Amino acid sequence: MTRHLGWLGFVLAVAARSALGQAPADHNRFQARWPFDSDGSVRIVDPAGRIRVIGWDVDSLAVSGRGPGRLAAAGTVSVRKLVVTGRAELEVHVPRGARVWVKSASADIDVVGVDGTLDLNSVAGAIHVVGTPADVTAETMDGPVELAGGSGRARVKTVSGAILLRGASVDLGASTLSGTIVVRAAGWQRGGTGVQRGKFESVTGDVRFDGELGRGGIVELESQSGAIALRVPATTVADFDLVTIAGSITNRLTAATAGRGVLRFSTGAGGAQVTARSFKGSISLEAK
Amino acid sequence: MMCNEWEAQLNEYVDGTLAAEARALVEAHLAGCAGCRAAVVELRALVASAADLPKRIEPARDLWTGIAARVGKREVRNGKRWWRTALAAAATIVIGFALYRLLPPSAVHHRSEGTGWVAVQAEYEQASDELTRALATERDRLAPATVALLERNLAVIDAALRESRDALARDPENVELRGLVASVAREKVELLRWATRVAT
Repeated sequence: MTRHLGWLGFVLAVAARSALGQAPADHNRFQARWPFDSDGSVRIVDPAGRIRVIGWDVDSLAVSGRGPGRLAAAGTVSVRKLVVTGRAELEVHVPRGARVWVKSASADIDVVGVDGTLDLNSVAGAIHVVGTPADVTAETMDGPVELAGGSGRARVKTVSGAILLRGASVDLGASTLSGTIVVRAAGWQRGGTGVQRGKFESVTGDVRFDGELGRGGIVELESQSGAIALRVPATTVADFDLVTIAGSITNRLTAATAGRGVLRFSTGAGGAQVTARSFKGSISLEAK
Repeated sequence: MMCNEWEAQLNEYVDGTLAAEARALVEAHLAGCAGCRAAVVELRALVASAADLPKRIEPARDLWTGIAARVGKREVRNGKRWWRTALAAAATIVIGFALYRLLPPSAVHHRSEGTGWVAVQAEYEQASDELTRALATERDRLAPATVALLERNLAVIDAALRESRDALARDPENVELRGLVASVAREKVELLRWATRVAT
């Protein structure tokens, strides 16, 4: 009987240890919090794993995470640097107005609810931003980039990753070599002003702009061999300047027809300027 | 307290990635700013503490193996890194200037004069070659997957360049074609610059 009770105690002790969340030997858990300015600057280096940055209405910086990698941190109330050696899954809460700089090799980067400036770099990871940051720079070689919600200014660059920009942004720039670019721009009906300035370039990927142009806005689309598709409201007031060297132009927005790879027409004065250039890809224009 | 406007430069300074001129500017600022000097001490401590962390951490995925190998090699070859980065930067400035001469700020307006086009192309070739050479010496520091991606996309961009240059040879005064050739050339330089930066 005594021996049975001894075994039962041992089993219960093991079970209790597991229930208390002891990390596996190959996983470190880290958690730290510091007071932080509402517009402070945080620099995060995490080569592999996942980085999730969340804006909150608290003047402090909090980091939690786990992984075989190790976390080192240093800084002040206005600037802090977080460096991971190895692989880690990081969750970093920052004040909404913070400036955030992230560098990774293969880690995916997610940013939610940060209104400050974002500078996000990855080699092979995906980048997702949800919210309304004032300024976004996002670069990844192979991963996709998605910005949702809108931003004052966004510059996105990939080599082969797809780019999706949606929301009410004012100044957009996207460039890719072989990826596709899709822009879904909200107009004033959904809280935006339409795109005031947009430049979208691809070498072999398709470029699609689907949205509303700001009054007086300038939008340029370019692809060497990918298709360019432009869908705008039928009531859009703009000067259109579409040129392809060896491709075709299809216009379903108005009755104007292209001649020798060139289509130039205006739907009214004082509107936007839309330019599309293609070497051998098709250009299509239609009403949404 | 650190001056906010110097934050990025101080980080680059501590990381050792600033060019000589920028480094001198930072050092001049540090001479008169106790807050930034303290920040540099703290950043250096951070880098040192990161360096003291375990060197070998078993990766959960194969991808990290390649990255760890590159990080390991960096310290040994640190002396070569600066001039390669500088070379890449210089090449980028040359091609940037060349493309600036070719294209005004807005691609809507095209410079019609043909003067300088040949020179611009030669400058582009030189910059592209310099970046390619700089990258070749660092190639083994890139992960195999990145090298494969780079080669695949360089092939794509070279094919696009050949195609548009052939078309331009048949229609040399076509300003639209020049603009497209310049755009693809810029993409190639950007790709090479990016790969060089990742490698170093």
